Amino acid sequence: MNIKIFTLSILFFSLLFANTIAGQTTSQFGTLPSINLNKSLKKSWSVNFKIESRQLFQQKDFEYVQTDLSLIAAKKVGLNSRVAYGHLVRFRGDALIHRMIQQYVIVQKMTNYRLAHRFASDQTFSLNESPEFRFRYRLTSQIPLNGQSADTKELYLKINNELLNKIQSSTYEMEIRIVPLLGYTIRDNSKVEIGLDYRLSSFLTSTKKNNFWMAFNWYIEI
Amino acid sequence: MNKSIILSFTVLFFILCVQHTQGQEKYEKESRINAKLVPQRAIEFIDSLGIDRKIKWYSEIGLKNKSIEAKFKLNGKRYSVEFETNGIIQDVEIEIKLQELSSRLRQSINSQLSQICSSHKISKIQIQHSGNRSLLLSFLNKKTTKDSITTRYELVSKCKKNKKVELFEYLFSNEAKLLKTSKIIFKSSSNLEY
Repeated sequence: MNIKIFTLSILFFSLLFANTIAGQTTSQFGTLPSINLNKSLKKSWSVNFKIESRQLFQQKDFEYVQTDLSLIAAKKVGLNSRVAYGHLVRFRGDALIHRMIQQYVIVQKMTNYRLAHRFASDQTFSLNESPEFRFRYRLTSQIPLNGQSADTKELYLKINNELLNKIQSSTYEMEIRIVPLLGYTIRDNSKVEIGLDYRLSSFLTSTKKNNFWMAFNWYIEI
Repeated sequence: MNKSIILSFTVLFFILCVQHTQGQEKYEKESRINAKLVPQRAIEFIDSLGIDRKIKWYSEIGLKNKSIEAKFKLNGKRYSVEFETNGIIQDVEIEIKLQELSSRLRQSINSQLSQICSSHKISKIQIQHSGNRSLLLSFLNKKTTKDSITTRYELVSKCKKNKKVELFEYLFSNEAKLLKTSKIIFKSSSNLEY
């Protein structure tokens, strides 16, 4: 089966599934711009710095919510795999939130597309809330819209599908994220992406939450 | 506390931005092109193979050369036919399985790779045919044997050496003589990882 049809089918059925289990919901809309700097170092090490901001669209106006700054150090452990450890700091109003991040990523190069499996865990700490522990798996596919790889000045389709398991104060929750993005390779070391970041949460316990973020990502290799 | 953290991250951000320079990179771009842009000689070559499957045409631009490539499936195998921009045939590559190599060739290649790498794993093999246009056509149409054309083997293999795993492309002659080794440089995958 054609990979583009296959991926679009997964996206369609995921959205259908998410919609089916949604039931009673509350919805939020906003923007989620981010800049991602990645620097390769010696001995298979690399560092990633990310700044991401969140604005909520409410009553016909954008309201600033928070800014995240994260720094992650990664070490290549195989031909296509990397382990990483990092720290994220979230600035939300007067609150300061810290998150420790661990992840293992394996990237597979297929003939016409690339697949990435990300296994991650994180622990979030703040003064106002109980610690939150998350275990996540994300499948990302990157499909070039021209040729067999997303080369310079070419468009690509990127689809993230992530399942998050959350534990906070002995309460288990689950979140599903579906993120279809249209990407453009400006140069070999610079990519921009725009699309929808859809998040469905709290569907196991109380009122389901739908979050629709307009995502803008800029990835720069230094 | 908040201000000092923001300041530290901002300083780091600008240091990284200032260092943002373009290094030397291997440049290779492959783009899908319409068959209307393909030279007639190349179209005629492919047409004479009598393929009833869809042909995908690509333009490949390297640092020093530019070529045109036709990709298609025939009898369950992936074919890649490369032409010069004026339509002159360069080579025909057919993806095969390791088991399809003769045991003599397989043993010889494995033995050479074992000498180069502490461990290796072959992930892709293409049999590469090149030579005169009419002889290549006769061979592909099964009218002559491969003795009349040049046959080589292009292998992609993981190679572990000095505790470092890398991906290489090896070109072997029909007599299993190693002709060329190229290290495969991966495209950045940070947008898939973070």
